Amino acid sequence: MFYREAGQFKTTYAADQQVFPILQDRIGVAVILFIAIAVVPFVANDFFMSAIAIPFLILALATIGLNVLTGYAGQLSLGTGGFMGVGAYACYKLATIFPDVPIVAHILLSGIFAAAAGVVFGLPSLRIKGLYLAVTTLAAQFFFEWCFIRIPWLYNYNASGAIEVPGLTLLGVTVTGPAAGSIPRYYVVLAIVILLTVLVKNLLRGRIGRQWMMIRDMDIAAELMGVRPLYAKLSAFAVSSYLCGVAGAMFVFFYLGAAEPSAFSITLSFQVLFMAILGGLGSLVGCFFGAAFIWILPILLRAGPPMIGIPIAAETATHVTSMIIGALIVAFLILEPHGLARLWQIGKEKLRVWPFPYA
Amino acid sequence: MNRAVDPRDLAMDGDGLAKGEVLLEVKNVSLRFGGVKAITDISFDIRKGEIRAIIGPNGAGKTSMLNVINGFYTPQEGTITFRGEERKKIAPYQAAASGIARTFQNVALFKGMTTLDNIMAGRTLAMHRNFLWQLLYFGPALNEEIANRRKVEEIIDFLEIQHIRKVPVGRLPYGLQKRVELGRALAAQPSLLLLDEPMAGMNLEEKEDMSRFILDVNSQFGTTIALIEHDMGVVMDISDRVVVLDYGRKIGDGTPDEVKANQDVIDAYLGVSHQDEGEG
Amino acid sequence: MLYQIFVDPFAQMVSMPDFLIQVIWEGFVAGILYALIALGFVLIFKASGVFNFAQGIMVVFAGLTLVGLHEAGVPAFLALILAIGVMALLAIAVERFVMRPLVNQPEIILLMSTIGMTYFLIGFGEFVFGGEPKQMITEELGLPTGSSAFEIGEQGLVILQHIDIAAAVIAIIMVASLALFFNKTRIGRALRAVADDHQAAQSVGISLNQIWAIVWFAAGIVALATGIMWGARSDVSFALEIVALKALPVLILGGFTSIPGAIVGGLIIGIGEKIGEIYWGPLVGGGIESWLAYMIALVFLLFRPQGLFGERIIERV
Repeated sequence: MFYREAGQFKTTYAADQQVFPILQDRIGVAVILFIAIAVVPFVANDFFMSAIAIPFLILALATIGLNVLTGYAGQLSLGTGGFMGVGAYACYKLATIFPDVPIVAHILLSGIFAAAAGVVFGLPSLRIKGLYLAVTTLAAQFFFEWCFIRIPWLYNYNASGAIEVPGLTLLGVTVTGPAAGSIPRYYVVLAIVILLTVLVKNLLRGRIGRQWMMIRDMDIAAELMGVRPLYAKLSAFAVSSYLCGVAGAMFVFFYLGAAEPSAFSITLSFQVLFMAILGGLGSLVGCFFGAAFIWILPILLRAGPPMIGIPIAAETATHVTSMIIGALIVAFLILEPHGLARLWQIGKEKLRVWPFPYA
Repeated sequence: MNRAVDPRDLAMDGDGLAKGEVLLEVKNVSLRFGGVKAITDISFDIRKGEIRAIIGPNGAGKTSMLNVINGFYTPQEGTITFRGEERKKIAPYQAAASGIARTFQNVALFKGMTTLDNIMAGRTLAMHRNFLWQLLYFGPALNEEIANRRKVEEIIDFLEIQHIRKVPVGRLPYGLQKRVELGRALAAQPSLLLLDEPMAGMNLEEKEDMSRFILDVNSQFGTTIALIEHDMGVVMDISDRVVVLDYGRKIGDGTPDEVKANQDVIDAYLGVSHQDEGEG
Repeated sequence: MLYQIFVDPFAQMVSMPDFLIQVIWEGFVAGILYALIALGFVLIFKASGVFNFAQGIMVVFAGLTLVGLHEAGVPAFLALILAIGVMALLAIAVERFVMRPLVNQPEIILLMSTIGMTYFLIGFGEFVFGGEPKQMITEELGLPTGSSAFEIGEQGLVILQHIDIAAAVIAIIMVASLALFFNKTRIGRALRAVADDHQAAQSVGISLNQIWAIVWFAAGIVALATGIMWGARSDVSFALEIVALKALPVLILGGFTSIPGAIVGGLIIGIGEKIGEIYWGPLVGGGIESWLAYMIALVFLLFRPQGLFGERIIERV
């Protein structure tokens, strides 16, 4: 009744091709952005900001990265954690070598290192696909993990073997390190995530995104339409790894504060993969849904039952989380392979015709 | 919305050939997979502006022939000359760039994309804005997108598929999918259009529609068409010349009437042995 | 540097042949265990086209069930039989709740569903048995322990663990009986038919559901055997899950549908990575075992994507 596009006529192709062609969607996005920018930081407590909002945004970006590769270009990757690690370690090295350059520049640059790594491990995708490719991304995962442990230069020969984030300032405000408050960190993360999400959306709705989807849906036909598989696949690997790298750098600099190599293990790869699957492969909004769901579920499971008087051990909560997520993955693949994003879409369609059952 | 399509908008310009000149020449092509001979020493040509049918019983090597023409298979022997350029080995995307587009026997649309996006996909080669402009989706990149959208909308009008513009093609019925696939190939503004069984699995009405589209494409846009089809009625009605394959060899070539009168062709189709007293 | 890469390792091999043999033997045994996991993959992939990422966790789960039951006071052999029963239940559950609803889905979806299953089983296993590593009940099952030393040459010494020898023997028996099962029985023939073409097999009256439950059960038994052997060498823990991923490079070498391929691939990877680790690892700081197998597979893929025993793929349009 209220959510419908009746009467909104498009008179130009440009108007028809905008991201949110429906007025109500534009209003909705504006409201969400307003809440994220002007409400959340002033309402939420420190725990919510540090332990939920910040990692959620960062992981959503990593999920977008994986989704570009797996959801849009159709190349399965199990090496997300490794590529995130490349970004994190690159950023750490940059920040310690050039401490005077603004940290945001380092964060955005570190993605380029991850992109380069992604291109190298994406090269085999020209000859192999599907399951075989999953193995080469596993090779990347384990190889990078090994590098983070065995190459002391990467962690500046710290005795602990971990990277520790130095305290850096941006425009006079401390944004990294133990002294940084959660609100400045949140704003930096939010700005980067919004910026990159918009840029990715632009890529996806243009020529390059279409080429990725062509390769995903029918690679032979794509080639016969003039798509060069080399460029299409490697650009997907590069963009995907770039996003993962930036997410990895932010993960350490704005969330963890210090990281051991195990922070970027294959567990992280799977976590991000699950976010992409549950959220919906081939959907940007789904990345945010998936990241929120998978990140918040364990927190709820740990905190929820005690609140209603059921004691639950931290371990048990972890086990139950793992079971629930595993079962949900299977259930979603069976019932709704396009994930939460598709449920969202169905909900919107229902809303369009509400209060009638169908149009 | 229903304005007529200006043929000049979609015609493939610049191949510099007059109607009736040889556009593509296949010379002594042989193709083997391991020990299996798919095509043996086939030669024929396709002339500018004609509708050329390739017919033959199942397994005659027709689809393999198309695959050779657009570079998906590389023949062991023989050459292909397209628009005066002789080539032995070519990648499919190069073939596409040189002006060959095609449709597939089993619809090969991009199932996760809408009709609009599928046909836009056909315009891949007409879009050039680089990565940075694409990131911004502004100025030149947007203008390019819109200019191509306009072309695509013309094709959508021409094929009368406006109503499914934003439907993911996976949800469309088979006949419409075939039509979208034709649209996608047309969007590339090819100088040679290869159609692999464009009417397979269609009912009479859909076949008539498709025949009309093929004839219109040929006459309005001047596109040269090579098609594989099993429905002899359709083939004989719409094609200018027919080449007949059997067991990977060419057994007939000429106008529909000549082919119909060719004894080898009749034998191949009716299964008559070469002794004249065969049971017919 | 070149000397260290190209000459020195070989000089070491020649100067201490007994040590080389010991390294090869260690690699061989590790390879057999990789091969056994890969065997489970192949069984399921052949029959259903599903790439079963959960094979590794099935190994852990089977081992844990066996040990857990024994800890709860069940005699060893009864525990073994019950563990087999649990694997049968698991197979039926997987067929009913995962495979049947997902029939005819793209392989990438099926793969991801097995990754989901892996997580479920990890959570479930830890929930029931706890996350601590457990001791395998090697002696109680009547498996040999101890070791024998063989002298080689003047002063060489090679030590063979009896359990490793038993592992090799059991692996051979399993492969032989699977080969018999595939080639000589009615179910085996049905299995091959299903592997070839699902619809055609159904149309001649073969029940897909039944066949799938059977292969998952067979893979479960292979997993149990692997779990026992592996558990006897180290112990039963979820860390095995990561090691089990090495079955993937093994499969790439051997081809996804070949049982002999799984065995040969397993041995190549097992021996290759041990030799690489011992002789070349120190040059780069050691620990290359964690990724060497994948790199070997990656290089191999570039030259022979269909595997050692796989058939060449001709793409059609």
